[in-house]
Amino acid sequence: MTKNILVRHETILAALLVVALMVLTTQSSHFFTVENLLNQARLMAEMGIVGLGMTFIIVTGGIDLSVGSILGLVAILLGVFWKNVGLPLPVAMFLAVVAGSLAGLFNGFIITRFKVPPLIATLATLALYRGLAEGISESRSVRGYPEWFYVLGQGDVWGIPTQLWVFLALAVVAIFILGVTPFGRTIYAIGSNAVAARFSGISVNRSLLAIYTASGFLASIAGVIFVSRVSTTRSDMGTGLELDVITAVVLGGTSIFGGRGTVVGTLLGLMLMQALKSGLLLAGVKGDGTITAIGVVLIGTVIVSNLFRMNTDG
Amino acid sequence: MLKNALLASAALLLLGGSAQAATWMGGDDQPTNPLACDATPPTAVAKPYDGGQATNPADLKGKPIKVVDVPKLIGIGYFNATSKGIADGAKELGNVDAKTDGPTKANIDEQITFIDNYITSGVNGILFAANDPVAISPVLKKALSKGIHVVGYDANSQPDAREWFINQAQFNGIAKSLLDNMVKETGEDAGIAIVTSTFTTPNQARWIAEMAAYAAKCHPKLQFLETVEAQEDNNLSFNQATTLINKYGDKMKGIFGMTSVATPAAAEAVTQAGKCGKVAVIGLATPNAMKPYVAKDCVKSVVLWNPVDLGYAAVEVLRAVVDGTLKPGATSVKAGKLGELQVVNGSEILLGAPFVFTKDNIGKFDF
Repeated sequence: MTKNILVRHETILAALLVVALMVLTTQSSHFFTVENLLNQARLMAEMGIVGLGMTFIIVTGGIDLSVGSILGLVAILLGVFWKNVGLPLPVAMFLAVVAGSLAGLFNGFIITRFKVPPLIATLATLALYRGLAEGISESRSVRGYPEWFYVLGQGDVWGIPTQLWVFLALAVVAIFILGVTPFGRTIYAIGSNAVAARFSGISVNRSLLAIYTASGFLASIAGVIFVSRVSTTRSDMGTGLELDVITAVVLGGTSIFGGRGTVVGTLLGLMLMQALKSGLLLAGVKGDGTITAIGVVLIGTVIVSNLFRMNTDG
Repeated sequence: MLKNALLASAALLLLGGSAQAATWMGGDDQPTNPLACDATPPTAVAKPYDGGQATNPADLKGKPIKVVDVPKLIGIGYFNATSKGIADGAKELGNVDAKTDGPTKANIDEQITFIDNYITSGVNGILFAANDPVAISPVLKKALSKGIHVVGYDANSQPDAREWFINQAQFNGIAKSLLDNMVKETGEDAGIAIVTSTFTTPNQARWIAEMAAYAAKCHPKLQFLETVEAQEDNNLSFNQATTLINKYGDKMKGIFGMTSVATPAAAEAVTQAGKCGKVAVIGLATPNAMKPYVAKDCVKSVVLWNPVDLGYAAVEVLRAVVDGTLKPGATSVKAGKLGELQVVNGSEILLGAPFVFTKDNIGKFDF
C-alpha cells in the first residue's frame, strides 16, 4: 500500500515540485517570497480554473480545445452586454457566464449527439467561438469598468488574491466530485471503457454533456476574472490557453487515453509549470528557454511515470 | 427544439457580426487631427505633462541600472532593430544593463506576464511596446508603484501608466506620408485595401483612423475597400493580401501594409500574382525586407522611421529619467547622438519626421 502511494504519479510530481522550488530558490532571492508566490498564484488562477474542467474531460478520454476561445467569447460578451446593451454589470457578468456554459453545452451536444470525436468537435468550435468573438466585437475593446469590478482580478481578500479564493473553492468542489462521488466514478468508468460503461447502465451521454458544459462554465468564470485583471476586453484573449491547460493536466498524471488522473495531480502540474515560468525568468533564463524547460519536464515526467506503471502493472 | 434554436441564433450572430465588420476600416474611435493637404508643417500644440510617475524610486543617479525591454513580440526584424538600438544606447551610456525579452506571439496576456515577472525580479527600468494600451496599464502602474521607471516606445499605453513615450512619428504625419505616396502611384480615384496587425493594436488603429480622416479631407475620391487582420504573421499576411487581390481584381489599385510584416508579404503577394505595377504597395517596413521589391520596381516607396534610433532614444530617455535630468514639464530632452528631441502631447517625445525609403536611398540602410 505504501509502495503504491510512493510510486504514484502524483507523488513523483510532488517530489519534483519540491526539488524545482528548492533549485529555483537558490537561483534568485526574489523567487520564494510571499509576495512572488501570491503573485504567481494570481496569474495561475485562470489556468487553474479551466484546468479543473479539463481534468474531468481528459479523464473520460476526450479533450476540449475550445476553452481559450470560450474565454475570449465570454470576455467580449461581457463587454457587449455591459456597454452596448446597457445591462447592469452583475447581470452582464451572469449572462456572459451563461453564454459560455451554453458554448460548452454545444460542444457536448455535437460530441454526444453527432458522435463527432471531441478533438475534431472542439477544434471546430475553437475557430467558431473565436470567429464569433471577433465578429461581435468588431475587434473593438471595451474599457472603463467600475472600480469594484477590478477587485475580482486585481484585488486581495484578507491578503490573498481574490481569484485565488475562487480557484480554491472550485478546486475543493472538483476534488470532491471526482474523488468521492458516484459521478466521479462514472467519469473514470467512461474513460476506462466507454462501451462497457454504457452497457453497465451508466448514462454516458448525460455525463459527457455535463462535463463539457462545466468546462464551458469554468472557462467563462476564468474569462470574467481575466477581464477584471487586465481591465479591458479583447477578442484575442485566451489564445493558446488550451495548450497550457492540457500540458498542466497531462503533467499532473491524467492519461490522455482516459481512465486515470486526479484533480490534485492537475494542481501539482500547474504549480510546477508556474514555478518553472517564474523561477527560470528570475534566474535570468529568457522566454524561449522556459518553454523548452517545460517541454522537457513534461516529457520526462510522463516517461518516468510510465516506467513506474509498467513495472507495477506486470 | 432548444438545440435548433441555439444553432440558428449562433448562425445569425455570426452573419450579423461579419456583415457589420465589413463596413469598418479598423481605426480607433479617438479624435483625429489630419494635417494640411499641402506641405505646411504641423503646428505644435503645447499640452501639460500627463504621464505617470514612479513612486519613491531609488536614487540611482550615475549608478548602473538594470533595464528590461519587453516589445510586442520578439523575433521579427522590426523589434530586432529596436533591440539593437537599445543595446547600442546601453553600450554607449556604459552604466545600463539592458535585456530584451518578450512573447513569441503578439499576445497581450503573455506580455503582461513577462512584465509582471520582471517587476518581481527587481529591475530598475522597463521599456515596452504595448500590444494593447488599456490591458497593459495595470501591470505598468504596478511597476511605477514599486519605484520602477517605465518608458514606452512604438506603441503607447495609457499616459498615466508610463513616465514618457517615444513616439516614432506623429500619427497624422505617418497618415499623410502614406496616403500622399499612395495617391502618387494610384491616382485620386482608386480602390485601396489595408492589411493591418489586429484591430486592437494601438498604433495601427491610430494610424488608420488618421488615414481615414486625412483621406476624407484631401483625397475624397479614394475608396477604402477593406481592412484585414494579419497579426504580425508572415504567412497570414501573404494569404490575406492574395485573397484581397483575388477578391477585388482590377477594382483594387493599392494595398497599405500597416506592419513591417504585412508590407513585404503584400509585395510578395502582388509579385506572385503578376500584378507588379498594377497594384501599388505602400507601407511601413524595414528597408532590408523591401530591398528586393524596390529593386524590381514593384514597390516605389517605403515609409518608416529608423527603429534602431527609436530603441536608442528609448534607453537614453530612461537613463535621463533615472538621473533626474528629464523631469515632467520639460520641452525637450538630449538623447545622445540624436541630439535634442522635442516633447509633444504632454509626455510624448518625438523621434522625428517619417522617412521615405525609395530606390535611390534604400541601399544605404541595413536593418
